[in-house]
Amino acid sequence: MPIKSEPVEVNIGPQHPSTHGVFRMVAMIDGERITDVKMIVGYLHRSMEKLAEERTYTQNIPFTDRMDYLAAMTSNLGYCLSVEKLAGIDVPERAQVLRVIFAELQRIASHCMATGAFINDCGAWQTPVMYTFRDREKVLDLFEMTCGARITTNYMRIGGVAFDVPDEFLPALDMLINDDLPFRFEEYDQLLVGNEIILMRARDVGVVSPEMAINASLSGPMLRSAGIAWDLRKADPYSGYDQYTFEIPVGYNGDSYDRMVIRIEEMKQSLRIIRQAVHILPGGPHKTEVPLAIRPPAGEAYSRVESPKGEVGFYVVSDGGAAPYRWHVRAPSLINLSVLKEMTVGQTIADAIVTLGSIDINVGEVDR
Amino acid sequence: MITDTGIVIAFYVIGASTVVSALMVAAVRNLIHAVLFLVITFTGVAGIYIVLSADFVAMAQVLIYAGAISVLLVFAVMLTPTGDRRNAETSFQAPALVLAGLLLAVVVFVIYDTDWRIASRGQFTTTASSLGRAFFSPYVVPFEVASVLLVAAMVGAIILTQDEDEEAGHAA
Amino acid sequence: MTPRPLTLITDNWYDIRDLSNLSGKIEELIRDANGPHWAVWVVSALLGAIGIVAFIGGVAIINIWIERRVVGRMQSRLGPNRLGPFGLLQPLADAIKLMQKEVLQPKAADGLVFSIAPIAFTVPGIVIMAVLPWGRNMSLARLDVGILFILAMSSLGALAVFTGGYGSNNKYALFGAMRVIAMLVTYEIPSVLALLGLVLFSGTMDLADMVLFQEKFWIPLVLVQPLPFLIYFISSSAELNRTPADLAEAESEIAGGYHVEYSGMKFGLFYAAELINAVAISAIIATVFLGGWWFYKLDELVPGWMIFIGKIYAVYFLFVWTRGTLPRFRIDQLLAFAWKWMTPMAFANIIVVAAEVLIWDETGASAGLVLPLYIAFNMLFAGVLIVAWVRFMGPRFSRFPDRLRYFDRIDVPSLPAMRAPAPAAAAPKSGSGAPARSASEGGGDLRGGRLVGGPRP
Repeated sequence: MPIKSEPVEVNIGPQHPSTHGVFRMVAMIDGERITDVKMIVGYLHRSMEKLAEERTYTQNIPFTDRMDYLAAMTSNLGYCLSVEKLAGIDVPERAQVLRVIFAELQRIASHCMATGAFINDCGAWQTPVMYTFRDREKVLDLFEMTCGARITTNYMRIGGVAFDVPDEFLPALDMLINDDLPFRFEEYDQLLVGNEIILMRARDVGVVSPEMAINASLSGPMLRSAGIAWDLRKADPYSGYDQYTFEIPVGYNGDSYDRMVIRIEEMKQSLRIIRQAVHILPGGPHKTEVPLAIRPPAGEAYSRVESPKGEVGFYVVSDGGAAPYRWHVRAPSLINLSVLKEMTVGQTIADAIVTLGSIDINVGEVDR
Repeated sequence: MITDTGIVIAFYVIGASTVVSALMVAAVRNLIHAVLFLVITFTGVAGIYIVLSADFVAMAQVLIYAGAISVLLVFAVMLTPTGDRRNAETSFQAPALVLAGLLLAVVVFVIYDTDWRIASRGQFTTTASSLGRAFFSPYVVPFEVASVLLVAAMVGAIILTQDEDEEAGHAA
Repeated sequence: MTPRPLTLITDNWYDIRDLSNLSGKIEELIRDANGPHWAVWVVSALLGAIGIVAFIGGVAIINIWIERRVVGRMQSRLGPNRLGPFGLLQPLADAIKLMQKEVLQPKAADGLVFSIAPIAFTVPGIVIMAVLPWGRNMSLARLDVGILFILAMSSLGALAVFTGGYGSNNKYALFGAMRVIAMLVTYEIPSVLALLGLVLFSGTMDLADMVLFQEKFWIPLVLVQPLPFLIYFISSSAELNRTPADLAEAESEIAGGYHVEYSGMKFGLFYAAELINAVAISAIIATVFLGGWWFYKLDELVPGWMIFIGKIYAVYFLFVWTRGTLPRFRIDQLLAFAWKWMTPMAFANIIVVAAEVLIWDETGASAGLVLPLYIAFNMLFAGVLIVAWVRFMGPRFSRFPDRLRYFDRIDVPSLPAMRAPAPAAAAPKSGSGAPARSASEGGGDLRGGRLVGGPRP
């Protein structure tokens, strides 16, 4: 005798503790089970792509900070690479290595945030968030030391980086990557990876099949959790990533738990890269001198980097003027979010929150 | 006969609130309100038991009726479609009235028919242990029959609610 | 009676060890003054009630601070430390803030139900305190069926939560309300069964007698009954809405659950009542498992109620600890845990306890011989059951392996757009840029390159 039940439409977000900003999903819920999800984005739309057409190439760099504000460095880097490709600018060796150091530090910071927030979505009472924030703060301290800003760093420049690192940077970095963080990552392993409750909550929750991942053009930990080894640092090396030894962790199951573990492992790999980068950090200029109002020749360029969230790509079209003719961003958050419905339908409302947390979206990047 | 002033006052206060909330159960139109009034009624009955020094029965009353039975009623109400959640709008009104009247008649008859022995206030024994002895020596057969009945009811409930699709899913 | 080192702790009315002497003195005074006999009851009831309410007021203030400081330490931060010494005045400031806030009530809320819920939620925690033995002769109401009273009252608290969730007329609140009801039905059973084992073992349902039992045999019952302790601790943390099982609130899922629509002091009442309930449950555990006001010979030096409060806070620390450490279960996992693990375990424990009591009664062996044996056996029994459950019945995940794979090189498949390089189409404008750098890398089999991770297990 089936029990008749009425599905309820529940509005999750834009004002909800676990939607990571102003993302909204309207879920049809039958009991505790989700039967349909509508995703509504655009609450943080700031029209950056249009605004960029009115500004010079250098003036557009701060926009990239404010897209993925948890990974400003990698967005900066992707944009600068595309303009450099368009204008044919060479980047000095020291700047290349500095870019790698800061991109990997940013990956650690962003993954710290993602892991902590994910466990919070699993229902922990703020403790993992505080742990990961503590470690993220130390990375941000290094950013502040170098460029004066912690979140919206605006550090990369077309042709290099804005400032050379100060004298106290390298000792501080050395302490962070050799003494501090390895110990912390061990702590994460003990606290989170083997945690029975997290296993129960995140295993087989929000599963992405490899076919689905490729068809939806997912990238980053979302793609790698599905068992597909794809990382732009290996597949399409930029900024001299081909000279470093590191490994790409890849999961089997494509569930939320794999995504969390992959993030923790990637942080360890980032440490490896930073150690090598510090070792080979050459002297010389940190920047190629380019005019502030750079006028690249008419043409178009797309360049992509592996941001913590996936492939962030910048497509720039120049008509020879001081401002880009067209600027388009391939935002991994938005594209990774597109499979949310397939991942959540049939699960409970608690699983949906965990799934959303494991995607690691950043609404600033989703809406731009 | 209860003569203690405090006890008498307590009896009338508890009795009045029990009766009033019992009436409200039938009178209010919102089913959830009816359930909440029912909780008050159950608690009031427990209070009357306490007045009669039947601590164990009173606590069992609160634990089982106010705590558990009312929760089951809440479940039942919540599983009812929203449109049917109106109290007193049912075609069973007349039969229910007749039934209630008959029940009242039975109770009144029993009250008048019983040969009330008024106990003098003696030594109170702990009700829990005497109840336990009663259950396990003179009344052991009814006690066991009741438990068998409950098991049968439970099995029946499981069979009723089992979803055939779900069963097939488990088998597969 | 041997002379005591301190003059304060004699059996006079000012003996702080045993406040019942005080009410005894008052009783004498009233009798001497030929007061009515009910006045004795009224006065001692009032005294006890005032004492308990004062304690609860202190608890509601202090526990906020304790909880925030302790959890702060666990989260490697300081916690409130600005207002007053060590931030002790922070809870007061919070209370004042809550009182000043407007109490909003949704238009479509069920007015009376909405307003009654916070009050009804506060009552059980306070009432439970009345039957607890705070010292040797210090119970406000000593009931024969104290344990049943406690269970009955704590089941009413969940009903109040349901009332609030239903009355708010909010979908999230209703989710919380329904979860509370489901958890109540589930967790009543193991907690009752766990306490039943203790009742069997000590042979009484009177809380004061249970403490006396533990005093008589010089053993806290938690040693003899470790499994019920675990079961009762877990199920009461589910009843208390504390983190491994805070599904009714579930901040990250249903945004606060049943109290999502409450604001101002109505919310404050929920908040305070949660702490009071936590202390009440801690007090129950301290009484029945840890021996209440008794702690070996310590109660001759320190007032019993102080030992009792110390034990309460030791248990309360456990609650804060689990809250600061563990993530939340999903509702179906929590219910399955209760039905499939805790209830059968509690039944198994009852059988064991009944056998033990029977053996003890029949053989008439001395406590010194029997109790260590029982402790050893019950500890072993609990350990074996837990390990066996984890090993054979624990959560299974459908797809393994858990471990990740690592790749240090990736075979790049060529993407469709890159495969057919058409220079004219790829670079329409005669720029000097290299818009299709990857195009030169073309070729390769798309299908073969796709799942470079190899076949899935």
